[in-house]
Amino acid sequence: MDYLWIVPALPLAGFVVLFVTQGRLPDKAVACVGAGSMGLAALAALFVGGAFVRSGASEHVATLWTWMAVGGFEPALALYLDSLSLVMMGVITGVGFLIHLYATGYMWKDHEEPEGYSRFFAYMNLFVFAMLMLVLGDDLLVLFLGWEGVGLCSYLLIGFYHKDPANGYAARKAFVVTRVGDTALALGLFLLFWEVGTLQIQGALSQVASMDQGTATLICLLLLGGAVGKSAQLPLHTWLPDAMAGPTPVSALIHAATMVTAGVYLIARMQGLYLVSDDARHVVAVVGLLTLLTASFSALAQTDIKRILAYSTMSQIGYMFMALGVGAWSAAIFHLMTHAFFKALLFLAAGSVILALRHEQDIFMMGGLRKKLPVPFWSMIIGSLGLVAFPLTAGFFSKDAILLTAWNEAGWLYWGGGVLAAGLTALYTARMMFLTFWGKVNTEPHDYSHANFARPNMWLALLALCALSIGGGWFGIGVLDDLLGPVAEVDSHFSPVALITMGVPLLMIGVGWVLFGGRANLTNLFGFAFVRNLRRFFSSGWGFDWLYNWIFARPFVWLVKINKSDIVDWLYRIIAGCARVFHYLSALTQTGRLRWYAANMAIGLIVLLLFAADWL
Amino acid sequence: MILVAILLLLIAGVAAWASERIAGANAPRWVSLFAFAAGLAWAFFEYWHGAVDGLYARQAFAWIPRFGINVALELDGLSLLLVALTMFLGIVAVVSSWDETENGHGFFQFNILWVMAGVVGVFTAMDLFLFFFFWEVMLIPMYFLIAIWGHENKGYASMKFFLFTQISGLLMLLAILALVFFAHGATGELTFGYAALKNLAPNISADIRMWLMLGFFVAFATKLPSVPLHTWLPDAHTQAPTAGSVILAGILLKTGAYGIIRFAVPLFPEASREFAWWGMLLGTASILYGGALAFSQSDFKRLVAYSSIAHMGFILLGVYAFNEQGMQGAVMTMIAHGFSTAALFMMAGALQQRLHSREMSDMGGLWKHAPRMGAMTMCFVVASVGMPGLGNFVGEFLALLGAFESSVWLAVAATAGIVVAALYGLYLLQRSFQGEPNPNVRALRDFGAREMSVMILMLLGLVWLGVYPQPVLDLSATTIAGLGVLP
Repeated sequence: MDYLWIVPALPLAGFVVLFVTQGRLPDKAVACVGAGSMGLAALAALFVGGAFVRSGASEHVATLWTWMAVGGFEPALALYLDSLSLVMMGVITGVGFLIHLYATGYMWKDHEEPEGYSRFFAYMNLFVFAMLMLVLGDDLLVLFLGWEGVGLCSYLLIGFYHKDPANGYAARKAFVVTRVGDTALALGLFLLFWEVGTLQIQGALSQVASMDQGTATLICLLLLGGAVGKSAQLPLHTWLPDAMAGPTPVSALIHAATMVTAGVYLIARMQGLYLVSDDARHVVAVVGLLTLLTASFSALAQTDIKRILAYSTMSQIGYMFMALGVGAWSAAIFHLMTHAFFKALLFLAAGSVILALRHEQDIFMMGGLRKKLPVPFWSMIIGSLGLVAFPLTAGFFSKDAILLTAWNEAGWLYWGGGVLAAGLTALYTARMMFLTFWGKVNTEPHDYSHANFARPNMWLALLALCALSIGGGWFGIGVLDDLLGPVAEVDSHFSPVALITMGVPLLMIGVGWVLFGGRANLTNLFGFAFVRNLRRFFSSGWGFDWLYNWIFARPFVWLVKINKSDIVDWLYRIIAGCARVFHYLSALTQTGRLRWYAANMAIGLIVLLLFAADWL
Repeated sequence: MILVAILLLLIAGVAAWASERIAGANAPRWVSLFAFAAGLAWAFFEYWHGAVDGLYARQAFAWIPRFGINVALELDGLSLLLVALTMFLGIVAVVSSWDETENGHGFFQFNILWVMAGVVGVFTAMDLFLFFFFWEVMLIPMYFLIAIWGHENKGYASMKFFLFTQISGLLMLLAILALVFFAHGATGELTFGYAALKNLAPNISADIRMWLMLGFFVAFATKLPSVPLHTWLPDAHTQAPTAGSVILAGILLKTGAYGIIRFAVPLFPEASREFAWWGMLLGTASILYGGALAFSQSDFKRLVAYSSIAHMGFILLGVYAFNEQGMQGAVMTMIAHGFSTAALFMMAGALQQRLHSREMSDMGGLWKHAPRMGAMTMCFVVASVGMPGLGNFVGEFLALLGAFESSVWLAVAATAGIVVAALYGLYLLQRSFQGEPNPNVRALRDFGAREMSVMILMLLGLVWLGVYPQPVLDLSATTIAGLGVLP
C-alpha cells in the first residue's frame, strides 16, 4: 500500500516521456509507452487494492509532501485510499487501460492527424494522471488539482483535430462552461476553509456536525455547482454534446467513463457534509431528475450517433445524481461503475462503426450494418442491453438499485421520473440500434476489416468490456456490498413496483422495434408542424445553447468589442488633447513681430500695475 | 555586496556599449549575459550563505548626512527573491532579443543593464531618497529602449510611458518629502531612513497620513498598473522591443507591487487598513476589466499586455486582504507572472520577428510549422489561466482565499475572473497556433536551442513553484512577518 503513489506516477511518467520526445518516437514505441504505462498502472492498482482489502484497514493515507504552508492553510500532497477511491481507481485504471488499448488501434495512421499519435497519447496519459489525483486526493486542493487537470486534458482532446475551427470552438466551450462550475467549487473551498480551518477532507468532514445548517447548505450548493459543470448536469450541461468533436476513444474515456462522473464522486466523497443539509440533498436529487428527463428526450431526437450517446451519458449521470440526492450512495457509485463499462463499450463500438464508414456519424446514413460489422454490432448489442437495464446485465442491477431505493426513500415522483426516463432510454437506444444495424444499407463500409478482427488490440478491448458489461453487475453485488455497504435494500424483485421498473424498458424496446424497425412509416407523424417543432426543440437540447448565447455570450462579446480601444484611455486622451490645444494657442502668440511683443508687454504691465494699486 | 552587484550591472553597461566598437555586435550581448549570470550566481550565493537577522546582505553608509540621507541597502527574503528574478529575466531578455536589434547593439545592452541596475536598487534600498533615486534610474533607459528600438508607433508609446511614470513618480517624491517633513515637524528628527520613518510615521496626524499613503499608492498603482491608471501599459508593451516587454512585464510591474508591500502599507498601516476595501475593489476591477479587454484584442502582444493587468489585480487583491494567505498569494503571483508573461512576450516577439505582424488574423494553424513554439505557447497559456500544478495557480488561489476572508463579495467577483482568463487565454492559443493553417504563412522557423533553453527553464520554474512553492513562501514569510501589519 505504501506504493500507492506509483499508480498515478505511471501515467504521469508516460506523459513526460511523450511530451519530452515531442513526436520523435516511432508510433510503435508511442503505443507501448501510452498503453503500456496504463497497463502497468492497472496492475499496480490491482496489487495496491488487493493489499488494501487484505489488510482490512478502512483507510490509508500516503503523504508525499506539504504542498504549501501559509498561516494555518497547510494542504498536503497526500493520497487517500478507502473503498470509494479504491472503486474509482479500479474503474479509471481498468477501463482506462482498455480504452488506451483500443485507441492504439483506432488512432493508428489516423488520416486526419497522422503526426498526432504521440500527442494524443501524451494528453490521454496526462488525463489519467489528473483523474487519479482527483479521486485519490486526501485534500480538497489536491482534488482541485485533478479537477482542473482533467478539464485541461478534456479541452486538449476535444480540440485534438485542431485544424477545424469548429472543434476548437467545442473545446473552448467545454473548458469555459465547466470553469463556470469550477468558480463555484473554488468559492465552496474558500468558504469551507474559513469555516473549519482545513481542506483536508476527513478533517473537514469530522467538523461538519458543528456547522450551522445554512452554511453547510451553501457549501454543499457551491460544490454542487462544480459538480454539475464537470458532470454535464443542468444547467451547465451544454458543453457535453459538442464535446463529441474529439476522437471517439476520448469520448469513451473522458466523456463517458471517468471525467464526467467526477461530480458524482465529489458529492459521494463529501457525503458527510451533504448529510447535514437536507435542502442540499434535495437540490441534488432534483437536478438529477430534471437532467435525466430532459437529456432522454434530447437523445430521442438526435441523428448523430455520438450525440445520442452523449445525451444518454448525461441522463445516466442524472440517475447517479438522483441516487445521491435520495441517499442511495452506494447505488450511485455502483451505477457509475457499470455505466463506465457499458458506455465505454458503446462509444468504442460506435467508434469502430464510424471508422469503417470513414467518419460518418449520422445514423440515417447508416443501416444494415449487422452482417458487415459483426464485432461492433455484437458489442453495441451488449452495451445497449446494459444501457436499457435489460435483466441480468450490469446496468440492470445498478439502475434497479437506484429506482427501488428512490421508491422506498423518496416517493413516487423520483421513481416515476426515473422509470419514465428508463423507458425513453430503451426507446432511443432501440432507435439508434435499429437504424444503424437493421434496414437497408445507406453507406457501404469502405474497409471493414479494421472494425472487425484486423487489429487485435481493438477487438480485445471490446471483448473485455463486453464481459464487464454483462458480468459487472455480479461483481458489484458481490464486492461493492462489502466495500461500500449494501447498494440497495431491495425487498423483492417480484413486487409490483419492481416488475414495473423492470418491464417498462422491455416494453419500450418493443415500441422501438415497431417504430424504427423498418415497418412503420413516420412521415405522417412529422406532417404535423407541432411534432416537427417539438423534434427540433429536443434536437437542439431544449434551446439551452440559444438561451445562453443570447443571455451571456452575445452581450459579453458585444460589450468587449465596443470597448476594444478602452474607454478609460479616453480620459487621458482628452487631457492630452487639452494640453495640445493650449500648446497650440500659446504657440500662436509667438509671431516673431517685435511691435506685437512690445504692445503685449505694455498691456501686461498696465494690468499688473492696476492690480498692484488695488484698482481691479 | 549589494552595491557591488549594482555597480557590476552599471559598469557592465558601459563595457557593453564600448565593446561593440572593439569586438562587434555579439560582444555586448555576451557582456550582458555574463553580467546577469554573475548577478544570479551572487543571489544564489547569498541564499546559500544564509541570513543574519532575516537579512542576507546589508550595507549602509552616509550619503548626505545633513538631510539624514544614507546609502542603505538591505537584502531580505522578499528582496532576494525579486533580485534573483531580475537577474534571471535579464538573461531571458538578452537571449530573447539576441538577433532582434539592427543597430546600436551596444547601447541597447547598456540600457537593459542600466534598467536592471535601477531595479536591483529599488528592491534593496532602505532609504526613501535612495529609493526614489533608483526609481528614476530605471525609468530613463526603459524610455530609450522603447523610443529607439520600438515598433511603428514608438514615439507615442514611449512618451505615454514616460509621462505616466514621471507624473506618478513626482507624486511619490512629494509624498516622500512631505512624510519626511511632517515626521521632522512632529518629532524633530530629520531622516529618510525606512526603519526610522516607519517608527516616526504614527506621530503624524491621521488625515495627513491618509493623504501621504494615497500619494505612495497612486505612484505604485500606476506602475503596477491598476485600473484606471493602466492605459500606458498596452501601448508601451505593444511597441517595446521583445527585451523591453520582457523586462517591463517581468520586472518593472513588480516594482509597483513591491512598493505597495514595502512602503505604502507598512509606513501607513492604519490608513492602509481604512483603504483596504478600495484597494481590493481596484484589484477586482483590474482582474475583470483587464481580462475583458484582453479578450477583445486582435493583437497577440496587446492581448498579453492586458492579461498582465488582470494578473496584477490579484496582487492588489491579496495585499489588501490583510492576511497571510493574501500577502503570500501576491508575492507568489509576482514571481510566477514574471515567468509566464515573460515567456508569452518572448513568443510574441519571436512571432513578430518571423511574420512581421502581431495581428492574430495573420496567424492561425502555426502549430503545423512550428510545433515547439506551439507547445511552449500552450504551456504558458495554461499557466496563465491558473492551472493547478503551475506557479500562477498557487498565487491566485492564495490571493483569492485571503480575499474571501476580508470581503466575500469582492472575492466572488474576482473568482469570476478565472472564467475570463480561460476565455482570453484559449482564444489566444486558438487564433495563433491552432485552427486552419493560414495560407499566407508558408514556413515558420521554429525555436532553436537558444530559445528553447530559456523557455524550458521558465517552464521548469513554474512547475517547481506549482508543486513545491515552500522555499519561496518561506523566503517571503520572514519579510511579511517583519512588516508588522498582519494580525
